[in-house]
Amino acid sequence: MAALIRGLRADRLVRALGSVAIQMGRVPRGNGSSRGLHRALVLRLADDSHRDQTVPPPPHHTHFAEQSCASDASSQQEHGHCHASHQDQSGEQEEGYETEEQLEARILTAALEFVPQHGWTVEAIAAGAETLGLSAASAEMFNNGAGELVLHFVEECNAQLAKILAEQHNRVQLGQTEKKETAEFLRDAIETRLRMLIPYIDTWPQAMSLLLLPHNIPESLKHLSTLVDDIWYYAGDRSTDMNWYTRRAALTGIYNTTELVMLQDSSPDFKDTWTFLDNRIQDIVNMANTAKQMKSTGEAVVQGLMGVAVTMKNLTGLNQRR
Amino acid sequence: MAAPLCALASRTQRSARAELAQRLAGSLTPSLARGQAGVGRRWCGDAARQKSTHFGFQTVPEGEKAARVYKVFESVAGRYDLMNDAMSLGIHRLWKDALLRVMNPQPGLRLLDAAGGTGDISFRFMAYTRSVHEQKLRRRARSNQTPSWQDITASYSSEGAGPPQSRAVVCDINKEMLKVGKGRAEEAGITTGVSWVVGDAEELPFDEDQFDVYTIAFGIRNVTHVEQALQEAFRVLKPGGRFLCLEFSQVSTPLLSKLYDAYSFQVIPVLGEVIAGDWKSYQYLVESIRRFPNQETFKGMIEEAGFARVQYINLTGGICAIHSAFKL
Repeated sequence: MAALIRGLRADRLVRALGSVAIQMGRVPRGNGSSRGLHRALVLRLADDSHRDQTVPPPPHHTHFAEQSCASDASSQQEHGHCHASHQDQSGEQEEGYETEEQLEARILTAALEFVPQHGWTVEAIAAGAETLGLSAASAEMFNNGAGELVLHFVEECNAQLAKILAEQHNRVQLGQTEKKETAEFLRDAIETRLRMLIPYIDTWPQAMSLLLLPHNIPESLKHLSTLVDDIWYYAGDRSTDMNWYTRRAALTGIYNTTELVMLQDSSPDFKDTWTFLDNRIQDIVNMANTAKQMKSTGEAVVQGLMGVAVTMKNLTGLNQRR
Repeated sequence: MAAPLCALASRTQRSARAELAQRLAGSLTPSLARGQAGVGRRWCGDAARQKSTHFGFQTVPEGEKAARVYKVFESVAGRYDLMNDAMSLGIHRLWKDALLRVMNPQPGLRLLDAAGGTGDISFRFMAYTRSVHEQKLRRRARSNQTPSWQDITASYSSEGAGPPQSRAVVCDINKEMLKVGKGRAEEAGITTGVSWVVGDAEELPFDEDQFDVYTIAFGIRNVTHVEQALQEAFRVLKPGGRFLCLEFSQVSTPLLSKLYDAYSFQVIPVLGEVIAGDWKSYQYLVESIRRFPNQETFKGMIEEAGFARVQYINLTGGICAIHSAFKL
């Protein structure tokens, strides 16, 4: 945290010298020529088995691990420049090179291994880069530093969860497993997702504080909403009314509070956390039932009142037609 | 044959005092300087068939530029640091500190400080990595107030490793500047970690894949073939290594640009004459700043050399710019 403040102070000093305009060099070059990365070793991470599943994935869900270069080539987004679709300068085949995004992803994934030792910091990224054979100076490639590492981890966990849920869904479709109750499904999904934090649980408070930094909030909120949306989608929610919002809001609340409980849980295998999760899910279910009951009760009461009013009108003779 | 004639023609030999008197009379403008260059250009164009390049606002044969730059820095070496402070009102220290902050080096890296001259960047680099290392140790100690006996045993076994040693190599074409730098190092007590090498930025005396960071601060505009220097930088950097260039650049706002021009051409050469006794060198300095390509053009040149992720940051309204790139 102190390092963050120092970093911010340093930023302010540089800015105080006048205008500090960080010109990002991400404009695709006009001549259309691209450049593969000379020292990249690995082919693309694409694994197309992900695509062949029978259930269509939720529409917003981007395939994080596979950037389809052909589709990106035409859309000149600021983030999605994929060079390998064009012939690059040395005339190599596109399979032999990877894009900058893929290299970044590889470095960050390698850096996760060093998080328990160094925390969520640029040092961890530098250590990760070194395992890939790059100099530690390349860790400065990430303008957002440790924040990018955390966001990458969150994105990866969400993608993994979506994969698991999709597989489960397929098995249910094929009749290999029983369909779960909504409450149980939600509970299992959240437990699976939170279990991915266990290797990093000691440093997770630092990661959470990074996610809450103002410049990281848009991204982290996006990941959270994607997560919750995925879970509800695979739970079978196809609502198009107010329920869509209330359900996701409820699940977001459950997820966040359970995460916080998990941070200070010292029971074996986080038993207390799962108990807490059970209780919260039960609360939601009860609330839903109560709401339904209230609605039907309300309707019944209204019916009764209408009956009383008609009877009164009959008694006083107002109902008769003359 | 042709070259010395050109030299004579384009630079009439007048005594320094006479020049000072004339220019203080208020006749110096950039256009006048360019007029002189025009004469030189005609001579040089006819007489020499070799390619020519700019030396400030003059045009000189390419082969000559390096020698002339050498002479400029040879004569200013003794007062170089003092002149820097006087001309930039001390702001150059902030610029160099900003460069280090952008670099944000971890301990254990190898730095090549090209055109390093008196070693400003290297000294800052060593101080920065030392303080980062000390911070880390302090943080570790704070979280380790009551170590268990297992931790103590572990610390005994790892003690042999020692802190990762950062190393800086100052490379400059000019021996005088390196001598001044070595003197400063001795005064500051920086004995280990910094080496001083004579070398040409266009043809570095190092093998490839040697350095983690390559910096060139206020030096690349003096190089005759900038592309070659960039290619050499690419060569000696390790994969994943970083290229950083701190250089004077184009000012963005017109008002600031007017003030800056006035200051550059009216004040700086006078300061040069008064403090260092050398008008011409500082005239060259401010002219060479004007001849250097602007931020975007230089970024394009860096990309051409094969670097990726090229970005630049303007300092003090564009008077300086830090270009950063990676060898990926």
